[in-house]
Amino acid sequence: MAKIITVAPTRMELIKLRKRVALAQKGHDLLREKMDALILEFFNILNKINAHRSKSVEQLMNAHKALSKCLAVVGTVETIQAMRESKRESKVDVSTRFIMGVQVPIAEAKIERGILERGYSFYNTASAIDRATKEFELALLSLSELAELEAAAYELAHELDKTKRRVNALEFIIIPTIRKNLKFIVMRLDEMERENFTRLKRIKAILEERK
Amino acid sequence: MSYKIAAIGDLDTVVGFGLAGVAQTHVHRNADETVAKLTEIFSDPEIGLVLITHRVSEELKKEIRKLMSEKRHTLLVLRIPDKTGFTPKEDELKEIIKRTVGADIVLNKERS
Amino acid sequence: MISEKFLEHEIANLNVHLTQKKISLKEAMLSEKPHVQTKGGGKHFFKRDELDFLKEIVSDEDLDKLLLPITIMMQLKLGRGSARISGIIEANVIGKILGKPFSEGDILYRPEVVTIRAKLPTTTEYLFLP
Repeated sequence: MAKIITVAPTRMELIKLRKRVALAQKGHDLLREKMDALILEFFNILNKINAHRSKSVEQLMNAHKALSKCLAVVGTVETIQAMRESKRESKVDVSTRFIMGVQVPIAEAKIERGILERGYSFYNTASAIDRATKEFELALLSLSELAELEAAAYELAHELDKTKRRVNALEFIIIPTIRKNLKFIVMRLDEMERENFTRLKRIKAILEERK
Repeated sequence: MSYKIAAIGDLDTVVGFGLAGVAQTHVHRNADETVAKLTEIFSDPEIGLVLITHRVSEELKKEIRKLMSEKRHTLLVLRIPDKTGFTPKEDELKEIIKRTVGADIVLNKERS
Repeated sequence: MISEKFLEHEIANLNVHLTQKKISLKEAMLSEKPHVQTKGGGKHFFKRDELDFLKEIVSDEDLDKLLLPITIMMQLKLGRGSARISGIIEANVIGKILGKPFSEGDILYRPEVVTIRAKLPTTTEYLFLP
């Protein structure tokens, strides 16, 4: 693709472009290093997700099994009643950490109520409800960790995308363009020098003739 | 900072997490109702974790994606299977890996 | 064409996640929510189980000398993906995790960086140097 070069062929411009290409190269190298590190982090997290997900899902399935049993033994209405009465106080602690400028959440579920503080009344609830509750609490703990990992993966992927685009822009567009301009200026300056040289020769010849 | 948890999905999921002490629960019946509830939950500063079953998230893909793009930093969203273990074949994370890495990667299950 | 401003901004932003002031392992263990401030103004929290893991490795007299987070210096002039560790005690800790003798100034190669980052995701940080 022929692109018209719009730089002025002067020495000033040449010095400016040389500086710019050095800066772009440095920026490119640093960003690529960052990209490498981001990829490393991304795969680290993906590996962790893979190990964790099957565990969480298994726990959740166990919880559902316990709940089905509970629904069968205690009855749907009673179970829903127990759910309404239960204390809704499970919390999740969200704090942050940084992986190279990417803010990533840390989540930790907290279930602070003891068995006696679950809220639903005791006299008409069977142990099946307790079992189901316990299983779901465990599932919640495990799932919050999974949520943290997945969120980290999303954030990293986003940053990785951005960094990759910048590295590619620098590598394939910006640096080549500057290099091309540099070459153009060098050629143009050389050409001007040659022009000047012949001009001087010619003048010298004319002056010689006049003598 | 401590935040509350929300769960959205079928009745079993909601009852289960309700027993586990999740603060906000919603049983999915129709799209409009659930979207309204989701919007409410996403704009609630006290919520820190939202659990959505895959079935609901598949049904309301567009809306959830829109909400996700505008969410706060400290709000985590996780899609979970329901009691039948339903998970979609094309999951979001895989799509993202495909896009960013440029290849479909099958992660080694035995490792780590 | 790209402006110099943008590039300078990018380069300056590379290390914006670094901590303003490191804290010792002992301080971190005692604090209820161990965290440090980053240069960008955010908070970086440490995970409790990593601190416990480090405590197992570090000898008692070094507890208040080990400063967290440990800095992994990615140096471009060392080649792609190679790094160094700053600090004598920190380098020792890294050596113990890798299971090989390692002192300050030795070069850490890419697979080793992977291992370290997998074991200590919150208690290490990257520093990019040209």
